[in-house]
Amino acid sequence: MEGMSYLTVAYLGMITGIAIWTWTVFARAKNLEARIYAIETSLGKDEIEADSIALQSAKSDDDKATG
Amino acid sequence: MGERIRIGFLGLGFVGIMSTLYLGFMWAPSVAIDAFESPAAQKIFYWHVPSAWAAFIAFAVLFVGSALWFFKRSPTGWRLHIAGAEAGLATGLMTVWSGTIWGSAEWGTPWDWSDVRLNTFGLLTLLALFLVLGRRSQPDGIETRDTFSTFGLFGFVLVPFTYIATRIWVIRHPGPVVATGTGGSLHSDMALVLLIGAISFTIFIIGHILTSMHITKLEQRVEMLQREIDRSD
Repeated sequence: MEGMSYLTVAYLGMITGIAIWTWTVFARAKNLEARIYAIETSLGKDEIEADSIALQSAKSDDDKATG
Repeated sequence: MGERIRIGFLGLGFVGIMSTLYLGFMWAPSVAIDAFESPAAQKIFYWHVPSAWAAFIAFAVLFVGSALWFFKRSPTGWRLHIAGAEAGLATGLMTVWSGTIWGSAEWGTPWDWSDVRLNTFGLLTLLALFLVLGRRSQPDGIETRDTFSTFGLFGFVLVPFTYIATRIWVIRHPGPVVATGTGGSLHSDMALVLLIGAISFTIFIIGHILTSMHITKLEQRVEMLQREIDRSD
């Protein structure tokens, strides 16, 4: 292949790659937001902020510290 | 952080990347015809170097996130770990992809197993792949996070090693043309396009890291809500 052909393949591959990556990320975010909205509405809950594993880990550390 | 800010970073970064390509093709001078086997393919450099730069930023984020989780049990640290691994994988693959295509054009082979820079960077990208796939295949838990954070912490050793590789062992990968300590060998117009590329990729990767952190937060909320539903059943 000529140099320009290599260049075209590389750039088309990468532009397509970052477009798909960005699209996937946004689609995931939108999908999750819709699911959360639906669940919270059905449960009648306000927005919650939670990382249950971090809470669990902090609790476990506290338990160890207090013996 | 607000959606508009995340979209702003991604949009600005993307426009900057496209401008870099345009300037690289239309404005930056070409290399001398006898300087390379494939002078046209040299223009891949305007994508390859900034994407490698963005990969190093992503791996630094992975390292900081891993340390924050491992030592401080910080939820933000875990989100940074995930975002750093995903961004490191994407930018690492872009760097490897552009590098192998240039290698095919210039060297006649896409990969040289004896070159230190190629192999250490390849290992870094594989580490990011392991962290991304590993997290998706394992149930979330303290032990899982500790294990992946340890890989994030120790894997970072490869970053300075990769950076200095072409300064110590010039085997196949070209030596540094910027930040050489002697002013570099790059034409000023080429250096300007490269700088625009590096800034654009930095903005773009920040946008992706912020978005990825937002997604992890949403996933954790879904999980928490799911548990509440299970408890109430």
